[in-house]
Amino acid sequence: MSNKSNYEKNLRSIKLKRFLSDNAILVIWVIFFAYSLIFVEGFASAYNIKNYLGNCAPLLVVAAGLTIVTLNGGIDFSTTSVISLVSTISAYILMSTPLVDTVWGIIVAILASFAIGALVGSINGLAVAKLKMPSFVATLSSKLIFSGVAVWFGSVYYDKTSLSISAKGFTAIGGKGGPFWIPLVLAALVFLIVDFMLSKTLFGRRVYAIGVNPNAAKVSGMPVRKTIFMEFLISGLLASFAGIMYTAKNRAGITTMGDEMFINIVGAVVIGGTSPAGGFGSMKKTLYGVLFLSLLSTMLNLLGVPYTLYDVVKGVFVLIAAGLELVTREMNVRAAAKAAKM
Amino acid sequence: MSEYILELKDIRKGFFGVEVLHGVNLQFRPGEVYGLVGENGAGKSTMMNIIGGVFPADGGEMLLNGKPYAPQTPRDAKNARIAFIHQELNLFSNLSVAENLFIDELPRNKAGLVDYRYMRSEAGKRLKELGLEISPRAMVSDLPMGVRQTVEIAKALLMDAQIILFDEPTTSLSQKEKEYLFNTIRALKQKGVAIVYISHILEDVFELCDEVAVLRDGAIIGKRLKAELNNDDIVSMMVGRKLENAYPVVEKSIGEVMFTARNVVAQGVKGCSLELRHGEVLGIFGLMGAGRTEFVRALYGLDPMVSGEITINGKTISKPNPKLCIDEGMAFISEDRRGEGLLMPKPVEDNLILVKLDDIAGRFGKIPEKKVDELTNHSIGDLSIKVSDKRLQLATNLSGGNQQKVVVGKWLMKTPKMLIMDEPTRGVDVGAKYEIYSLILDLAKNGSGVLCISSEMEELIGICDRILVMANGRITGEVEMKDFNQKRIMEYALQGGEENGEEH
Repeated sequence: MSNKSNYEKNLRSIKLKRFLSDNAILVIWVIFFAYSLIFVEGFASAYNIKNYLGNCAPLLVVAAGLTIVTLNGGIDFSTTSVISLVSTISAYILMSTPLVDTVWGIIVAILASFAIGALVGSINGLAVAKLKMPSFVATLSSKLIFSGVAVWFGSVYYDKTSLSISAKGFTAIGGKGGPFWIPLVLAALVFLIVDFMLSKTLFGRRVYAIGVNPNAAKVSGMPVRKTIFMEFLISGLLASFAGIMYTAKNRAGITTMGDEMFINIVGAVVIGGTSPAGGFGSMKKTLYGVLFLSLLSTMLNLLGVPYTLYDVVKGVFVLIAAGLELVTREMNVRAAAKAAKM
Repeated sequence: MSEYILELKDIRKGFFGVEVLHGVNLQFRPGEVYGLVGENGAGKSTMMNIIGGVFPADGGEMLLNGKPYAPQTPRDAKNARIAFIHQELNLFSNLSVAENLFIDELPRNKAGLVDYRYMRSEAGKRLKELGLEISPRAMVSDLPMGVRQTVEIAKALLMDAQIILFDEPTTSLSQKEKEYLFNTIRALKQKGVAIVYISHILEDVFELCDEVAVLRDGAIIGKRLKAELNNDDIVSMMVGRKLENAYPVVEKSIGEVMFTARNVVAQGVKGCSLELRHGEVLGIFGLMGAGRTEFVRALYGLDPMVSGEITINGKTISKPNPKLCIDEGMAFISEDRRGEGLLMPKPVEDNLILVKLDDIAGRFGKIPEKKVDELTNHSIGDLSIKVSDKRLQLATNLSGGNQQKVVVGKWLMKTPKMLIMDEPTRGVDVGAKYEIYSLILDLAKNGSGVLCISSEMEELIGICDRILVMANGRITGEVEMKDFNQKRIMEYALQGGEENGEEH
């Protein structure tokens, strides 16, 4: 029989292991960041760091929405189509309507953007919560539909596939034509709010519970369908917010803006360590995932790796991260089983 | 060669420096059935897992046919022809019977593809040899629980097992299926297979086993041969104290009607009514398929109520749902603890606080962590739930009895006015059973109404004030406490065929 101090030592080692497995990607990020600062030429410049953080900001916003959906074991493919459509429509409102160069133009563009996010999010939410469609199918369909609408709209109302935006008040949201930190503050606010929602509120508890066992959640009186609907609505709204940020940052409406982003959005969530099976993960993890994935892009760029290879490298990291998540969870379960036997 | 097929000598096992098996010695002879009983957490599963190769022992040795046997993986155990039939069946319900039987080594044809034709015909042949009339093409998901168990046993037979370990095999079986299982076990015994049979149901153990060993706190407390078996003796060995009474006695008074259900029709329920009073424990008995579970699920709105209505606290509801029912003070403990009661991979604390969250949420839905901590600590103390770290330990790591206490605890936190319990003590050991009965009766003593479903008649007679009997979707009889009589209740339960429209 062992004594008390032995027991406590064991408990400490379990907790340390759990901390490390929960924060593995943060540790890796620190290592990569330090390496880049010292060894990668051009990394340690104010311009580059601003650029790096500027890339993180909108990605964090859209990944925040996907984190909520993923915690429920769902997926939201439509975020990229929301970004494309928001970009297309907001640029049109800003540049090709009587509202051009007015404050009203900016306000209407932003409101319209959120309306798009709310619309797509509601359709997804209804399809999944009410019609019980798998989110994979529901959001894949809405992705196709709304990215199609964006391209169609551009083909009719733009003469090219993009439309430059000159409204300074709008581009400042993306850190262009204004202080670079504006998007950082916006992203930080989104992070704080979503993190609070998930870790500290009733809504968050419901998301995790439903993600683990929707039947037990139902027996416990949780509004399962309403919660699932809200998740997709929030994901749509955050995607439209990110769409505004990307559009402002690029100073242009681009009809296919979101098309290439899916690996980054899902990659950030999964690399961060939120389980695609639902129930495990957090907003903090997604933050680490965003920081890491954007860092990877920046490093690859500065190291002169051909752009065409980026996806290969990112794909490998997503794979490693997903594998790591499974292994560490297994470890946690075993550690807890040991603790149970103590 | 020794006369034993398997010998355990001074087997020890610890987790994290804490020993949970303190030198177990057991011997098994071929062609005999060994019962292994003990409270949850006594170490039965740990022992089975060591024999089955799930994890190795820390000390001691095992001899298989006189030779050292030290399995490191379940495959080692399989190669040694030791089969382990778990409490939760390990079949793939999305595959056919034949695929399940050959899952470890699917037969291949020359092209390297699975040879389905050979597999099916071979499976069919073997099943027939075993006297089982199961189509090898049948999907496991379409089979009743009892037949699934048979498939699992067939798997063990196909590997020509010399020892078969059964862990609580009857929890989900009907009486008929159980008898079938027992006959199979007896046939195996004839063939010289050694059987280790773990169960909480002492009757079954007494009926089947040639020798019974009692495990308590990781040590063998005593062994009895078939001839010496005695219920009180075994139970007192299990719990370590003389069990005066299996059921607590609580003085309580029964008040006004607090809940009524009128002409409830639902899937498998053909118009049932009942009245429940403050302070009353009302039992519902019925055989498998009588519609008991379906009835109470409809009352709580888990399954749709086609017609009928419920009245609680004077409020009439015709389309109940769990949220509505909870708001009126109802609580529901499902028979499916893993599927509907608990968040298995989540910590004990998260599980305990689950239904209380709505009440304690503050502004913006903020959950006060301190309150959660206090409430759950209270609950763990009150119900004496055995847990060392409520935030680290997951529901899945708890024993059956402790899991059920967590489910009961989460509802008691809301001090429900009405509690519906479906099989409240399934898979729960004797000691924890008593504690759960006490909790139910205390709740009733404080004026709540309790509706309790059980397939164990004795349990209902032990704790209920009144028992309704269901058969074939209808209520076929009602028995008051003063008239409790097993024979009479069973007669009502067997009345399924006749029309018996009038409920109480």
